[in-house]
Amino acid sequence: MRVIVLQLIVGTAGVLLFLIAVIIVNKAMREAGESTDRRRQIEFGPAVAVYLGSADSRSILSYLPRRVGRRDRRIVEALLVEAASAEGSASIAAPAGASLVSAGTQARAAAAFEALGSVDRALQDLDSRRWWKRAEAAERLGLMRCPRAADRLVLLMGDEVGEVRMRAAAALGLMRSSTSIRPLVAALSDPSRWSAIRVAEILVRAGQEAVDELLPAWDNLPRHARLSALDVLARLRTPRAQDLMRRCLSDPSADIRARAAHGLGQIGDTGSAGGLQEALADAAWPVRAMAAKALGRIGLPAVVPALCRALEDREWWVRANAGEALRRLGDAGREALVGMLDAADPYARHQALAQLEESGVVDGWIADLASPDEGRRRAALRSIEKIIALGRTDHLAQRAASIADEGVRRVLAEALRR
Amino acid sequence: MSLTGLLTEIVLAFNLSVLYYFALLNAVYLLLLAVSISEILRFVRRTFFSDYDQILKSEMTWPITIVVPAHNEARSIVETVRSLLGVNYPEFEVIVVNDGSTDDTLGRLVEAFGLRRTDRIYRRTLPTEEVRGLYGSLEIPNLVVVDKVWGGKADALNAGVNGSRYPLFCSVDADSIIEETALLRVVKPFMDRPQEMVAVGGIVRIVNGCEVQDGRVVRIGLPRRALPVLQVVEYLRSFLSGRSGWSGLRSLLIISGAFGLYRKAEVIAVGGYDRWSATEDLELILKMHEHLRRTRRPYRIVFVPDPVCWTEAPATLRVLGRQRNRWHRGLLQSLWRHRTMIFNPRYGAIGLFALPYFAFFETLGPFVETLGYVIIPIAWWLGVLNTDFFLLFLVFSIFFGVFLSVASVLLEEISFRRYPGWEHLATLVLAAVVENFGYRQVLGLFKVKAFFDFLRRRHAWGRMDREGFRAPDPVPGHGSAL
Repeated sequence: MRVIVLQLIVGTAGVLLFLIAVIIVNKAMREAGESTDRRRQIEFGPAVAVYLGSADSRSILSYLPRRVGRRDRRIVEALLVEAASAEGSASIAAPAGASLVSAGTQARAAAAFEALGSVDRALQDLDSRRWWKRAEAAERLGLMRCPRAADRLVLLMGDEVGEVRMRAAAALGLMRSSTSIRPLVAALSDPSRWSAIRVAEILVRAGQEAVDELLPAWDNLPRHARLSALDVLARLRTPRAQDLMRRCLSDPSADIRARAAHGLGQIGDTGSAGGLQEALADAAWPVRAMAAKALGRIGLPAVVPALCRALEDREWWVRANAGEALRRLGDAGREALVGMLDAADPYARHQALAQLEESGVVDGWIADLASPDEGRRRAALRSIEKIIALGRTDHLAQRAASIADEGVRRVLAEALRR
Repeated sequence: MSLTGLLTEIVLAFNLSVLYYFALLNAVYLLLLAVSISEILRFVRRTFFSDYDQILKSEMTWPITIVVPAHNEARSIVETVRSLLGVNYPEFEVIVVNDGSTDDTLGRLVEAFGLRRTDRIYRRTLPTEEVRGLYGSLEIPNLVVVDKVWGGKADALNAGVNGSRYPLFCSVDADSIIEETALLRVVKPFMDRPQEMVAVGGIVRIVNGCEVQDGRVVRIGLPRRALPVLQVVEYLRSFLSGRSGWSGLRSLLIISGAFGLYRKAEVIAVGGYDRWSATEDLELILKMHEHLRRTRRPYRIVFVPDPVCWTEAPATLRVLGRQRNRWHRGLLQSLWRHRTMIFNPRYGAIGLFALPYFAFFETLGPFVETLGYVIIPIAWWLGVLNTDFFLLFLVFSIFFGVFLSVASVLLEEISFRRYPGWEHLATLVLAAVVENFGYRQVLGLFKVKAFFDFLRRRHAWGRMDREGFRAPDPVPGHGSAL
């Protein structure tokens, strides 16, 4: 027994020491590796930058200061990938006179990738058992717009790992051909919201090519994919989608109707104002709320009466959006909000007041109490008395206590007492 | 049988039970550690491909309300709110609930952010104490302060939920700072599984010793005092080896009140936070598990180890004692309230594994461990101290604790590496060893006291004396403080 116990103690202590050694060795090796990589970046960075900034037909290998080993190649690849992605290109140390962000940068980076044998290796990695290798390879091939990878990337859209599918999608999006965009439209059907968001982002970046594929594919998309499609079309603000979105205002799905209303607002389709005003009477409150928001974005003063009615909606979100929409409509909307302080519906009155307070109109009235123009003063006092009659006096009471002008303070305090 | 003989028999029987108990407990810890390692490595690998900037840019990202309950938090509230207003997230609002503060919490907020009383509409979906007023700012439209009569943290959180406009809300303690990208990271599970996800917790790290400027942690460091350093290791163990493991086993019971993201509709469906509970965060999660399991809905409550919330740790034993007393009382309250879930197969892994673990090990553990320390001298005095038992007890209770703490430091080192220097690493490893000789035993005593307080129905919240995010302790020499 004693021997077993002692062995247990020695074993535990050994495991502990081993753990501590692992921690130290791991940190030391990581820091050494990072330091070596930094040195290599300093060594190869300028040569890569010069290569990218040049226009001759020489291979990148002739620009590099020495023959590259496996680890060197990784660093050079990373520098090329950085250059090929728009965000990264500026971070490469560029020698004077070398233009990195030129139209040819991407093409030169792709040619260098081929010369280094990196494309072949990435294509091999697409079959790797490790998903992160597949994902990384897809990303690199996309950044290099490698045409011979297109078919393989389309196949990768069926990968079991979501991250790999998304990298393949991003790569196809960068290629921007109909064969690469079509599988992306199909990928909008992915049930994960996160995947849908990323595919939608890729399609938005693809621009009009995405619209070309989305509109004909509409009828075959499932409902949740249609929501994403509407989102993409709205963000692209394409007038080509107006008819589709107007039709969607009468779709059986409330989600689709709401998203279409939102989209029409984003596009700023003035021709849909009538349909959106009708949508203010939709049975589903999210549709009414989105229609109110859209009308505010479109910005036609003619919709003021409809928005005033929406301010009396039974649903808080609709009232809030209608209030905000009126605020966005400038003078006409503000006047309407002031008028709504007399509305029969107490919720509409409160919403109107909240909007007027947030837009600074109430503070303007308070400031007008000090105006030399008597008409202005009286009008301001009348408006303030309306607020007091509503019983929403928190804001006024605080201003009455804190405003610097003694005369205004007195008038406010008196009005509040009355 | 003589009295001494009887005592000897009792002592020997107890010794044996203690050994079995620790062996079982350590087996559970090992299981949790193994699951945690797998979860964290997988998470780190996925993080590399996460594209958080797309969440940031997308219009389909859910907007979030950040709710900050504040009671007498004048020292740090302005920095906290500043940090929250600076988070990277496409659409969010911050609701600070001033819960009957008797210090200048409200005044500092009003002054710092140019707040004014507004007549913003407030919906009383969850019952709370009276709301005295709402404050807003024209310059910062996404900041709202709810001023209310004191009702406790749970009541304040409920008021924040009532005031929120968005479908997800994030609870953040007023003495805490969340990192700029924390919301993007904590919302990701909701984006991945929008139908199932109901709550996500992030990691809480200790801010003592870090340099904070304008509500941002600008330099990460370790505290100079020993007690907070020990808590740094304790938090690493609790979050990286504990919650990751529970989350991987789909049995997560705790999302820290300091930082958690919830689906508002689900929180309202269970009646919001409970005022009677000393740990409203644990109670909420248990209620959600109970409700969702009963209604047989597929759901997930997960922990993600990356979104970081920095919080101030107690710097004195007295304050630490109060904090742990409240935590343990809260656990006991919730376990007692949900006792019908324990060993109930209807609640799946929660009922059959997580709750029995907490009932058996977390409740009894402190007694067994403390009694173990008491019984050894008695056994020695009686002349029946078995050296083998003593050594085994040492291995299971102390050495294994050291192993788990060092393993947590290793997990941190291979994954997130927030503490960059060699001196940090040395301090953490040293603290991982030292905490098992004294600190852990003191925590055990706090829990024993909490048990009796629970039985006596003492419900004090326990005042937390804070220093605020003032200038940090200087780095040199911080290791020697141990």
